[in-house]
Amino acid sequence: MGTRILTVEDDERIRTAVKLALEDEGWVVEEADTGEEALQSFARNPADVVLIDIMLPGIDGFDVCRSIRRASDVPIVMVTARADTHDVVAGLEAGADDYLTKPFAPKELSARIRALLRRARSADPTVTHLRFGDLEIVPDEGLVLLAGEEVHLTKTEFRLLVELASSPGRVFSREVLLERVWGYGYFGDGRLVDVHVRRLRMKIEADPANPRHVITVRGLGYKLQQ
Amino acid sequence: MTTEPIPRPVPEGRPVSALPVETRSVTARPAEARPAAAPRPSTPPESTEAPSTPDGASVQTRTRTRRRRRASMIAPVGRRIGLRTRLTLTYGLGAAVLAAVMSVTTFVLTRDNLLDQRETASVTRAVGNATRIANQLPTGADPGTVETLITGLPSPEGAQPVLRYEDQWYATNTIDFGEQSVPDDLKEVVSAGRAARVRSTYLDQPYLVVGVPIPALGAQYYEVISLEDLQRTLDGLAISLLGASALTTVAGGLVGFWAARRVFAPLLDVGRAAEAMAGGRLDTRLPTGDDPDLDLIAKPFNEMAQALEDRIERDARFASEVSHELRSPLMTLAASVEVLENSSEDMTERARTALLLLSADVERLQQLVEDLLEISRFDVGAITLHLEDVVVSEMVIQAVSVLGRRVPVRYDPDAGDLVVRVDKRRFGRVIANLLDNAERYAGGATAVVVERADGKVHVVVEDRGNGVPEDERDIIFDRFSRGREGGNRAADSGVGLGLALVDEHVRLHGGRVWVEDRADGEAGARFVVELPVVEPTETGGDEDRGGDA
Repeated sequence: MGTRILTVEDDERIRTAVKLALEDEGWVVEEADTGEEALQSFARNPADVVLIDIMLPGIDGFDVCRSIRRASDVPIVMVTARADTHDVVAGLEAGADDYLTKPFAPKELSARIRALLRRARSADPTVTHLRFGDLEIVPDEGLVLLAGEEVHLTKTEFRLLVELASSPGRVFSREVLLERVWGYGYFGDGRLVDVHVRRLRMKIEADPANPRHVITVRGLGYKLQQ
Repeated sequence: MTTEPIPRPVPEGRPVSALPVETRSVTARPAEARPAAAPRPSTPPESTEAPSTPDGASVQTRTRTRRRRRASMIAPVGRRIGLRTRLTLTYGLGAAVLAAVMSVTTFVLTRDNLLDQRETASVTRAVGNATRIANQLPTGADPGTVETLITGLPSPEGAQPVLRYEDQWYATNTIDFGEQSVPDDLKEVVSAGRAARVRSTYLDQPYLVVGVPIPALGAQYYEVISLEDLQRTLDGLAISLLGASALTTVAGGLVGFWAARRVFAPLLDVGRAAEAMAGGRLDTRLPTGDDPDLDLIAKPFNEMAQALEDRIERDARFASEVSHELRSPLMTLAASVEVLENSSEDMTERARTALLLLSADVERLQQLVEDLLEISRFDVGAITLHLEDVVVSEMVIQAVSVLGRRVPVRYDPDAGDLVVRVDKRRFGRVIANLLDNAERYAGGATAVVVERADGKVHVVVEDRGNGVPEDERDIIFDRFSRGREGGNRAADSGVGLGLALVDEHVRLHGGRVWVEDRADGEAGARFVVELPVVEPTETGGDEDRGGDA
């Protein structure tokens, strides 16, 4: 069975058109027009990628995102109305891996989905086992251990950590991380990196306010402390 | 009773006719309290007309039009005297008139009163003296007796007795106050047997002359009383009143000036508030409730301001809402067109052509909606900048390469590593719009140049088109304006918001944009975006970006 994509969108025409476009890519598309329906569908049969419109009747996109994230590390793409509102940050905080603003071209959506799928399936094979103090990374197995305990990271968070770990101590600019982890160019949204770093810290830092592993280098980017 | 006339030579002094006789006249000049003509306020023709900037190519269009409009409104009023000056003058004039009336009244009443007193006293004494003469002078008295009698008459200082007895004139001081000191018409009246008094000027001094006939002796008794002391008193009074009037006038003017300022202060507030609103601060309001009279201005003003603000906000929101509503159908259109494109091989040639048209216009519509949304965000002030410190040359290179344009990017070695604080996505749009503009109207940009310019950095998009005429250099940054060159393009695919967005974006970044001729003298235009440079040492770009600009 091919890659399955769950689209949550209350506008039937948009949903249908997007479904047709995504099916042209060879993916199987499942539809849901409310948050409740989406959660039921996902519980029955988890999709490989979830596309959620934030504006939904009933429970909104943020809640759907949070609910799915609690149960799964599936890649989630949020659809927002505007790029410069707090919706974007709120969506990313809720657990989304990426976002798009309406109206977007389906080609753009396909590109984002492909990048997410790549991320979900691959890990850098050159790195085998890394240890930073109490933090252990086993890229082969997609495993991160903090003081011996397994830490659950989403695919994107994991990919971000491995990217930083590939050259410990080196400063990665937002642009570089955007390109390597998300497949964006220079004009990608730096907030993707910032919010994901924040989420990563919540999971792997003893005190996220005073990080010891993932360090911010003011004006330059982020690095993994050796 | 003896009536012995003693002839006495009367010195022929000056001709009697030379003595002006005024019956009941005022010798003192009435206090002329006419105010000194108030100095005309110097009102040079107000130079409200803004100095025109013949070649202010870089001046923002909007400020220019506003200035022009303002000048045309105020210019015709320039000559008139200002309200404040008029109020000051009115108060001053009013005070002057009032003071003059008061002064004149006071003076006239005082003078009449004093004169009356003096006359009454003089007449009583003269009659008394005449009676005494009638009683004491024996008939046919010799001149010596008459003189003795006259000298012995009780008369206060300044009162000179003169007696005509048996056609002879007797006096205590015959040299100065003999017959010649008595006016002729008084002589006539008294000779006719009636007592009379007259005020006259004699030897340049005011006098009161009282004549009493003594019928028993066929004589006439006169008394010449100096009014000089009275005159001095009245002169002093006049000077005092004049001074007081002048002071009152000045004080009135000052009160007027002060009152005008007080009255005007709230009006100046209104002016400032209106100016603030014109400058874009639409939430400006006047304070109300302090003064019921001022509320008459403040309340309607605030209502107007509110109505204006609502109206502008409504307009801006309307554009924003329309664009938002257009998103959903556009989304469907874009997705459907893509599905159709995926299977365009199966279509006929005609259908494929139609699909090409459809997809091109869907794209154009998408761009238009995107631009409209962006510009309406500027209008409602809902723009949030995600500022980052970036190396300007790198950003420009990236912006050009993302667009897939083959335009060379040049930069001076000393300009390449300058850092600017920008919202990358928006600045990318600035470059994109400028390149689009060059593409549409000038056959494409020839280069994008980064130059250092006195603490600023210039990002210049050059082309080899026909250039932009001087008079269009401002208006091409207006919304939906394309200039003459643009209007001629039949197959134009632009929507006319590109340069307006460039202008808004650049201004939001604290910079400016203008168009100029190419420096090398060849045909073509240079669109210059000027941005402030930040010190690379204190670079931001920290964790929490995306605050409001």
